[in-house]
Amino acid sequence: MTIDIPFIWTAFKEIIKSLPITLILTLVPLAIGFLIGLTVALVRIYKTRFLYQAANGYVSFFRGTPIIMHIMVIYYGIPLLIDQVSSKFDLNIQTNKIPIILFVLIALSLAAGAYLSEIIRSGIISVSTGQLEAAYSVGMTKYQAMFRIVLPQALALSIPNFTNLFVGFLHTSSIAFLVSEKELTGAANIVASTNLKFLEAFIAAGIVYWGLTIMVEGISFLLEKKVTSYSRGGVS
Amino acid sequence: MINLKGIKKSFNKSEVLKGINLKIEKGEVVTILGPSGSGKTTLLRCLNFLEKPDGGMVQIGNIKVDTEKATKKEMLTIRKQSAMVFQHYNLFAHKTVLQNVMEGLIVAKRVKKKDARYRSELVLEKVGLKDKLHHYPSQLSGGQQQRVGIARALALNPEVILFDEPTSALDPELVGEVLSVIKTIAKEGITMVVVTHEMSFAREVSDRVLFMDGGVIVEEGTPLEIFHAPKEERTRRFLQRISGDSFFPPLKERVN
Ligand SMILES: Nc1ncnc2c1ncn2[C@@H]1O[C@H](COP(=O)(O)OP(=O)(O)O)[C@@H](O)[C@H]1O
Ligand SMILES: [Mg+2]
Repeated sequence: MTIDIPFIWTAFKEIIKSLPITLILTLVPLAIGFLIGLTVALVRIYKTRFLYQAANGYVSFFRGTPIIMHIMVIYYGIPLLIDQVSSKFDLNIQTNKIPIILFVLIALSLAAGAYLSEIIRSGIISVSTGQLEAAYSVGMTKYQAMFRIVLPQALALSIPNFTNLFVGFLHTSSIAFLVSEKELTGAANIVASTNLKFLEAFIAAGIVYWGLTIMVEGISFLLEKKVTSYSRGGVS
Repeated sequence: MINLKGIKKSFNKSEVLKGINLKIEKGEVVTILGPSGSGKTTLLRCLNFLEKPDGGMVQIGNIKVDTEKATKKEMLTIRKQSAMVFQHYNLFAHKTVLQNVMEGLIVAKRVKKKDARYRSELVLEKVGLKDKLHHYPSQLSGGQQQRVGIARALALNPEVILFDEPTSALDPELVGEVLSVIKTIAKEGITMVVVTHEMSFAREVSDRVLFMDGGVIVEEGTPLEIFHAPKEERTRRFLQRISGDSFFPPLKERVN
């Protein structure tokens, strides 16, 4: 077997057309997951009654099981559930009309929420309690102290962890191809099998992922430098 | 005016404050001395409800709270009567000097931004930091940071400012600049409660000195009484230990 180097470029041009799907599968879950994660982190920090146990269970389950399993369970489970409800109440919803990407997005968002809640929670904990007490001492409420003093610093401190998760989810989005979602890896798979050039196609896909990762890391580096400039001594 | 009646606080069944009674008049400067672990910090923290006392009554200004029945709202109201200067400054690390001072005014007191800024610049000038308005805490020396802490408290114009060992985290050569700022505001008639180990400062600035040990106020009096004629053995031993034998000669000798 030989390697067809020029075909890597051909495959690259074909595969990169699926970049928007990969980006959607990465950005949307992380954005929704951020809101879930923030809520869950606050519930766990404040030990809110009733919600506290639910939040712990949620994080434990989604971090304790592989993401591919979440996708499969939701992909096969939700239609079943909807069909049952639909037939019971004569709603006439056709589950096969629901776009697959929706299931994948739900699964990835739930997983991202669990991971992000842990990142945000550890960020919150790492801001000194002294600052929280100072906030109270100038008359702020619990809510004001959290959102004005603690969270901005917690999030700034969490940027390296957010970046790791971002890169992780960028790569994880590839498993959506198992439920025939045509993102980068899915596209590579199609290019590979139609041309019977597997090595070239997956090398091309690898280059796309790697390039994206390098870009994300670069942006994160600059962002971190900017938002944590307060913590470095020297003249502003 | 501040009035504490029967303030009690325990941590894990060990009683740290055993029923503190204390009255402080408006404009009075009270310093609290006492060995480590005697409950000085806890007393200050109970005064502004950073710690919720187990029992007793707290009154600051016109606000009076029975600590056993205190609601969150009452605790917040009484906390707004006071301001605190912390041993480790506890400045907001992501905010500039000016923002640190403005924050409480804008968020808790709902002062207009422009007015808050004006007032903050004024107090920062008073503590000698007019040229550092846009620096972050990490860019300041410990002494400068603590002066921001004092400005942050002062800007709120509270009934009382609570100082918890404001100079004990500082390098010796920076203690002076902070103490002199505290002395200046003490002279302006602001009510202050200061926990300190700086004896000559306490002697100079206080209207009244309290000596605490084991969760009770063992003795109180004017600086002259406490430093030169302590009635209690415990007070005497503490003063001797902290200052060496020769530092506070008996009153008679001094007069000669
Ligand atoms: N949050 C807390 N939890 C448990 N014990 C505490 C807490 N705060 C203070 N203590 C205990 O209470 C006692 C008095 O502490 P503190 O008021 O800080 O004394 P001081 O300021 O006079 O040194 C100490 O024995 C300390 O260990
Ligand atoms: Mg203390």
